[in-house]
Amino acid sequence: MSAEYVLEMKNITKRYGENTVLSDVSLSVRPGEIHALLGENGAGKSTLKNVLFGMPVIHSTGGFEGHVLLNGEEAHISSPHEAMVKGIGMVHQEFMLLPGFTVTENIKLNREITHPNVFSRIFGKNLETLDMDAMSGDARSALDSVGMSIDEYTRVEGMPVGYMQFVEIAREIDKSGIKLLVFDEPTAVLTESEATQLISVMKQIAASGIAIIFITHRLDEVMAAADSITILRDGRLAATRAARETSIVELAEVMIGRKGEAVVEAGPREAPHERVALEVRDLYVNMPGEEVRGVSFDVYEGEIMGVGGLAGQGKLGIPNGVMSLYSAQGEIKLFGQPLKLGNAGAALSSGIAMVSEDRKGVGLLLDQSIEDNIVFNAMQIKGEYLHKIGPFTLKDSAAIRAVANRMIQELDIRCFGPTQHAGTLSGGNQQKVCIARALVMGPKFLFVSEPTRGIDIGAKKLVLETLVKLNREQGMTIVMVSSELQELRSICDRIAIVSEGKLVDTLSPEASDADFGLAMSGIKPGAQEQKGGGAK
Amino acid sequence: MTPSKVKRIIAIVLAVAGVALIVLGALSLPKRGGEQGQQILDTLRIRTLLNATGDGVVESYVAIAKKDATAKAKEAGGGMAAIRDAVAKAEEETRAKYANATTDFSTLDTEALSQAVHAYESALSAYYASAAAAEQAYVDAHMEEARAAAEAERAAKLAAGEDVPEETEVTVDMSGFEATEEMQRLSAAADESYAAVGAALQEIYPVLDSGALDTLKGTISAIVFQSGDTFTVQYDRYIAAGSGAALSNATSAFLVRYADDLVYGGVALLVCALVVMFNELLVSKLGIPRVIIGLFFILLCFMSLWYDLSLSTLLSNTVVRMGMNSIMVLAMVPGIQCGISLNLGLPIGLVAGLIGGLMTIEMGIPGWGGFLFAILVGAVIAAVAGWLYAQLLNRLKGEEMSVTTYVGFSIVSLMCIAWLVLPFQSLKLRWPLGTGLRNTIGLDSTNFKHILDDLLAFNIGGFTVPTGLLLFMLLCCFLVWLFSRSKTGVAMQAVGNNPRFAEATGINVDKMRVIGTVLSTVLGAVGILVYSQSYGFMQLYTAPRQMGFIAASAILIGGASTSRCKISHVLIGTFLFQGVLTLGMPVANVLVPGSTISETLRILISNGIILYALTKSGGGSRA
Repeated sequence: MSAEYVLEMKNITKRYGENTVLSDVSLSVRPGEIHALLGENGAGKSTLKNVLFGMPVIHSTGGFEGHVLLNGEEAHISSPHEAMVKGIGMVHQEFMLLPGFTVTENIKLNREITHPNVFSRIFGKNLETLDMDAMSGDARSALDSVGMSIDEYTRVEGMPVGYMQFVEIAREIDKSGIKLLVFDEPTAVLTESEATQLISVMKQIAASGIAIIFITHRLDEVMAAADSITILRDGRLAATRAARETSIVELAEVMIGRKGEAVVEAGPREAPHERVALEVRDLYVNMPGEEVRGVSFDVYEGEIMGVGGLAGQGKLGIPNGVMSLYSAQGEIKLFGQPLKLGNAGAALSSGIAMVSEDRKGVGLLLDQSIEDNIVFNAMQIKGEYLHKIGPFTLKDSAAIRAVANRMIQELDIRCFGPTQHAGTLSGGNQQKVCIARALVMGPKFLFVSEPTRGIDIGAKKLVLETLVKLNREQGMTIVMVSSELQELRSICDRIAIVSEGKLVDTLSPEASDADFGLAMSGIKPGAQEQKGGGAK
Repeated sequence: MTPSKVKRIIAIVLAVAGVALIVLGALSLPKRGGEQGQQILDTLRIRTLLNATGDGVVESYVAIAKKDATAKAKEAGGGMAAIRDAVAKAEEETRAKYANATTDFSTLDTEALSQAVHAYESALSAYYASAAAAEQAYVDAHMEEARAAAEAERAAKLAAGEDVPEETEVTVDMSGFEATEEMQRLSAAADESYAAVGAALQEIYPVLDSGALDTLKGTISAIVFQSGDTFTVQYDRYIAAGSGAALSNATSAFLVRYADDLVYGGVALLVCALVVMFNELLVSKLGIPRVIIGLFFILLCFMSLWYDLSLSTLLSNTVVRMGMNSIMVLAMVPGIQCGISLNLGLPIGLVAGLIGGLMTIEMGIPGWGGFLFAILVGAVIAAVAGWLYAQLLNRLKGEEMSVTTYVGFSIVSLMCIAWLVLPFQSLKLRWPLGTGLRNTIGLDSTNFKHILDDLLAFNIGGFTVPTGLLLFMLLCCFLVWLFSRSKTGVAMQAVGNNPRFAEATGINVDKMRVIGTVLSTVLGAVGILVYSQSYGFMQLYTAPRQMGFIAASAILIGGASTSRCKISHVLIGTFLFQGVLTLGMPVANVLVPGSTISETLRILISNGIILYALTKSGGGSRA
């Protein structure tokens, strides 16, 4: 190991078609160093990781530009297996373990220690006997090195998730010749004490000369563990810092940054805060991947409130919980009236409408026409757009056509006509259909969840302008949940930031980037000293 | 050259060829009835006549030779054995001598014979026309008598508890019929003109004696009287008899014979040209499977014309079969709409409908009342069974395809036991001996056989329009369409389309699936009754097993997917499926005559279509 760096990635650029997701990113890791890779969702962390491991998704989309050097030598990594052979290990975010196998078997999977027997001499290596003693010895020492006292013959099934994480790490360490380990958000599923233990294990591993890339968005852990830090933002290299030269506030600021110009600018105004429209107390939502763990907040009538935060932190759980799309507990009051959770129809008929983040999943009837999609809720919940002919209650086609045409015009839905199937529309136009359906309900209160996800800039602008218009002209109270902080800051009166299922803080859109950055990694601005000191 | 240009050129070439064939055919077709056609037939007939007579001539020579041999042997004073040997030898020699002897037909003057034959033909026609009229008159006079006798026999059998056969055709006993005076007169006239023919023949073959002519009378009269058949039938028969060599202008005769096929071929080419020209439009409007199967159907139509099968009858059958199957196919619609995908558990509904039908016969309710009673009982049973079935489906979401299939099979097996033990008493339903219901229960006019088919039915040419059946089909389609536009119907479709969406709107997903399943099962019950009344039989035991698959494939062929369907898919799919089956079998029988290929092919075609349809179950475009 004569080279200064165990890994150098130079000027990596990756495009998916027209879309540049990584642009001229460089990264250098020394042996025995913990190098943190920091960035918001979509900043390019995963793509960089995929490039490093030679994932098929990279090669099947035209490869990448730039160079990867291992120990100073140019390396062409074309598959994850090749990466493993070259000494790059990976600790996955989702555990890659076989539940029915023991810890030893999982650690030594496909690298079993064997000795020959009668059959194997005839039929080949695949029939050799497993040397369980040698294997368990190896597993034991690997487990010891990550500080785990668990028996090596325990089955993985039923273990606490924290243990699984350590088994996974032990497996990587057990591989001979490992030079570089990548930890992809390893603390996401761990408790605080487990996370602390993990960081100390990482330091031990690093001390043995193995370099570590630590992908995360938790600033305090970065400060506690990392030697150097690379921050990505929008697919570009935002900064490279040594940990001892920077502060948590600076990291937060660099990570968030100002992303170009705002698409829409709502005029400044005095945010209304006289009457409470929606009162949420102790909301718990069991939405897989977006759990909410006790959130309380008030929404004032006539305001646009934003809910932000990183993916998987629970911000999407809030609207889905209030609308009873997922099982939820807590107390909700809408305009002073208690709202019972557990019945989606009741929420809708009480005057809340929602534009779901999952357009294709719960937002649209893809195989049905635009007009049927638009009037569906109004027809089912309010019994509108129906007429009675004798004993039959039938769709009122004329009224439906009229309202659909009006909505198509108002929201500028680009389509061949109201009878086109929703599934054939572009993402932006599908979103407009979802909004139209919410509007046809004539709601007093509107949840919009990720309204601009996956739609083009023009549609984004129109969607945001529509929300502002509804708010200003009709006084509609709106809660907008979005991953795009810039969007939230451009139209919201207040922005609540959610992290790990809890509401961290409610900030003004004028608050500094650092405040937002800190809040997103779960640190209440102004309290970072205590919290930062707490995580070792 | 661009592909579109190539396409256009191919289309134009095909169209020109098609028009040329049509013109050629259309010019040749009228000649059949005209002078040329008559001439062709005359030539062929005389030759056939001469060929047939030629055999008689050989026989005459043989007879003469035998007589001589006998005489000679007697003269020589041989015994019986010697005479027999001599006769056999003489016969053998004579046959060998004349076996390969050919007459040079071209040198013969057949003018006299031709005229005699014409005279004989008209005399024969007159005789047979008279005979047919007389016989018809006799039948008319004795019909009442025969009918009364048949009724009496039937009543007697029923009273004795015997197996009563299906409605049989009442036949009049012709043993009492006597030839009328006119017939005798015309017969004598015919004999006279035959004598003229005989004389003409004797001129050509002097060896023919009156005995040989008597022997030949049957053959000759048969050949001559065939002139009553159509041009093509006569032509084919004469050609088969090996008289083709007589035609001096074989090509033009061939054209006249195949004029209709030329027209069909021309039209087929025009269709090809249209398809080549507009294939993209067709494919985008109908989807590739329907274009392929539709073209196959059209191909079968042309093949049936080519092989001179009665296309109008086949198409009429297709329409009837479409009508009788359509309600069962329609039963797939609520199932698909509510999200249980293809209701392969349709036999539940079919069995319920059959029970309704059995109850009607058991209670002896005739006519419309019986049919409506059967539908009512069937629908009630189907609703209850469908509700239970829906509970099962709601507990096994995501596995609908296998659950419905197994439920379908299980219910058929279960009912196989039930048919044996159900306490029906009517002798029309039970086996004459032992217990249990019959395998196939024939319906008759006292029940609801053809009650829809015959309602307001009328004929256009050979094409029978089963008005009542079609109206009932359209009524059911209309009701299902109406339901799909109701508030509940819209909610049900949302459940099928996207259950999470429906749930997010507060719709009770399970309830909607129950509604859809019950509707589908009830439609199945109605469907089997409509099927049975048209088929004329109710089939119990394993018969309903396959019907769910047939209905499912029909709707898939029509363009539905397992999650999306329209009424038009039902109509198009049923027509194509039944059309291909109905036309495919007779055509296959012609192609491979004298085999059981049609049954094999029926299974192949129907299962092939099912498999093909299932590969399309994901659905094609969203058009």
